[in-house]
Amino acid sequence: MATLGLAEFLSSIISESGVSGHEGKVAALVEKHMSGLFDEARTDALGNLIVLKRGTGRTPHPRVMLAAHMDEIGLMVTKIEDQGCLRVTQVGGIDRRILPGLEVIVHGRRDLPGVIGAKPPHVQEPGEREKSMKWEDLYVDVGLTADEARELIRIGDIATFAQTPIKLQGKFMAGKTMDDRAGVAVLFECLRVLRDMRHQADVYCVATVQEEVGLRGAITSTYGIVPDVGIAIDVGFGDQSSVPEYQSISMDNGPGIAFSPAVHQGIFERLTSIASELEIPYQVDPSPYPGGTDAYAIQMARGGIPTGLVSIPLRYMHTAVETVCLADIERAGRLLAEFIVRLDKKFVEGLKCF
Amino acid sequence: MKDLLKKLVETYGPAGNEGPIREVIRKEVEGLVDEVVVDALGNLIAIRRGQGPKVMIAAHMDEIGIIVTHIDEKGFVRFSNIGGISPHMLIGQRVIFANGTVGVFGMEKLDDIKDLRLSKMFIDIGAKDEASAREKVSVGDVAGLCRQACFQGDRVIAKSLDDRAGCAVLIQVLRELANKEIPNQVYAVFTVQEELGLRGARTAAYRVNPDIGFAVDVTGTGDTPEAPTMAVELGKGAAIKVKDAVVLTHPRVRQFMIETAEKKGIPYQLEVLERGGTDTGPIHLTREGVPSGAISIPTRYIHTPSEMADMNDIENVVKLFVAILEEQLDALIV
Repeated sequence: MATLGLAEFLSSIISESGVSGHEGKVAALVEKHMSGLFDEARTDALGNLIVLKRGTGRTPHPRVMLAAHMDEIGLMVTKIEDQGCLRVTQVGGIDRRILPGLEVIVHGRRDLPGVIGAKPPHVQEPGEREKSMKWEDLYVDVGLTADEARELIRIGDIATFAQTPIKLQGKFMAGKTMDDRAGVAVLFECLRVLRDMRHQADVYCVATVQEEVGLRGAITSTYGIVPDVGIAIDVGFGDQSSVPEYQSISMDNGPGIAFSPAVHQGIFERLTSIASELEIPYQVDPSPYPGGTDAYAIQMARGGIPTGLVSIPLRYMHTAVETVCLADIERAGRLLAEFIVRLDKKFVEGLKCF
Repeated sequence: MKDLLKKLVETYGPAGNEGPIREVIRKEVEGLVDEVVVDALGNLIAIRRGQGPKVMIAAHMDEIGIIVTHIDEKGFVRFSNIGGISPHMLIGQRVIFANGTVGVFGMEKLDDIKDLRLSKMFIDIGAKDEASAREKVSVGDVAGLCRQACFQGDRVIAKSLDDRAGCAVLIQVLRELANKEIPNQVYAVFTVQEELGLRGARTAAYRVNPDIGFAVDVTGTGDTPEAPTMAVELGKGAAIKVKDAVVLTHPRVRQFMIETAEKKGIPYQLEVLERGGTDTGPIHLTREGVPSGAISIPTRYIHTPSEMADMNDIENVVKLFVAILEEQLDALIV
C-alpha cells in the first residue's frame, strides 16, 4: 500500500540512479512505492514500467496512457587511461560546462565516488577560462591507479551525478533528474487521486525508458498498449533569469498544457477547460517543435494516437540541481485524474473525427 | 573465409542497389538453411527453422557509394553521396558503375583544400563529350568504390568491410551450424540501405518479429596515432557493443554476451561508439521492443577504400555468434 507522501516519493526516486538504458532499479522502486494504487504492473522488453489501473463499466473500456520518462542523463566510461583516470562520454544531452567540480558515482563492480576536476586557474593560459572544457579534457578521478581501476571498472560502466535531494524554501525542491522523475511523481499523484474515484477508462501509467536518447521507450510501450489517448508528462523551462519569458513557464503557477504539433487540439481543449472549471492553475505552453518529448513518439505510434503534453515548470534543466515546485506536481496529478474520470467512449471517438 | 570475404567486398552493391551482392550471398546461403526469402525492400532473409526462440542476426550488405546528379556538355559527371562520404577521401580514388564503367575523381581549382566539397568535385569517365558519356552513365546511376582486397599477415585491407565482413560472419556462422542441433530458430538477415538510415533492418525486423535480435557490423578503434578516445583495438577480440548513437544494449543482453565469451574463452572487448549506429537500433525498437545486442568487428579507416580489420577478430566474432546460438536464450526474453 502506498504510504509515502508526494515529497517523500519524489525524494526517494530521484535518489536512485537510472541513466538511460539502465533504469531497472528506478522501475523497481517506483513499482514498490505505487503498490496499492494499481491492478497490474509489468516491465517490457526495453524496461518500461507499465502500471495498469482498470476502469469500471461496460467493456471495452477506453484506454488512456500517461507517460513520464524515468531515465536520467549521465556519463559512460569510454576508456581507462594509464594514469587511472576515466575518460567518459555523455548518455543524453550533458552540458559540459557544469561538469568541472562535480561529484559523481561510478557504478562499477561496486559504487565508487568520483570527482571531475579542472585545471587550477593559476596555471591556465590567458583566454582558457573563457572556454568550456572539451570532452577530451574531462575525466573522472576515483583515486585509483590504472590497474586498480581496471579491476573495478569496465568500459561502458555508468556514472551519475552524486546529488542528494535538496529541500528549498516553500514547496521548492532541487536535485538531479527532476527531469523527468517529477513527471513520474505526477503519475503517482494522479493514481493517488484516482484511488477514491470511479472511472471508465483503463489507465496505463508508463514510466518510460531511454527518452533522453531518442524517446525509445515510448515508441515500444505505445505500440504495445495501443491507447485511445496518450498524454506525456515532462518538464518545461521554468522561469529563471537568462531564459526569455516567451520560452518559459512560471514556477508555482500550475502545469503547462502544451499547444504543439504533437498535441491533439481536442485534448488541449479538454485539459484547459477542466482546469478552468475546477480552478486548477495552468499555463498554456506553446511548443512549436514536435520532437523533444515522449508525446511525439506516442503520437506517431501505429496509425497515430491523439496525444497531449503536460509540463512541470523546472529551472536549471540538465544540471544536478534541477528545481521544481511540488505544488505544480500536485496540480498536474489532480488535473490528469479529473481528465481521466471524464473520459468516455464519446470523447475518445470525437478525437478521431475532424 | 578469406576467399569468401574477398568475393563479398569486391562485389558491387551500394545502398539501394544491392542486386549483385544479394545474388552472391544467396548462392552462399542456399543449402545451409531451410528457406531464403527476399522482402519488398530487398533484404535477404535466410531462415533456419527448428525449436526455440526466433533469433534475428543481421548484417547489412549495402555499401557506401555515389549517385550521378548531372552530366555536363563535356561529359563530366557531377554526383552526390550515398551514405557517409568524405570529399577528401575521394581524391585519387576510382568508382565503378553497375555496368562496369570506371570513373576517377577530379576537382575544381581551389585556393585552399579545406574548401573541398562534393559539389566542387566531378567524376571523369574518360568520355569525349556529353553524348558519349550518356552512352555509359545516366543521371541516377550509382557507383561504388573500386578497390581489390588484400591480405597481409593477420590483417585484411579492403573497401566495404563495412559491412561485408559482417555478411561473411553470418555466412560462416550458418556454415558452422549446418550440421548441428541448436535450441534456437535463426533468421539471418542481410539488410539493405543501412548506410542511408538503417532502413532495411527496420522492415525486416517487423516482418521477422524476432524474440531476440543481434547485429554484426564494423566499429571504430582508438589504436592509431592521435586517435579519438576509444578503448577498442584491432586484434584484441570481438567487440561487444555497450552503446552507439542508436542503441544502449540492455544490460541483461550485454552481460549474457560477456559471460558467453568468457565461458568459451573467446577474446572480447567492450565497445562504446560515440558516433554512428547500426541495425540493432531499429531491431530493438520493433513492435513492442526486442531484447537486442551487437557484436562488432574492430575496423580502422571506416568509409574509405582501405578499411582494415584483423582476421582473428572476425574469427572470434564468428565463434561468439556460434556460441550464443548454441545457448538457451529464453532467459533473455521478457
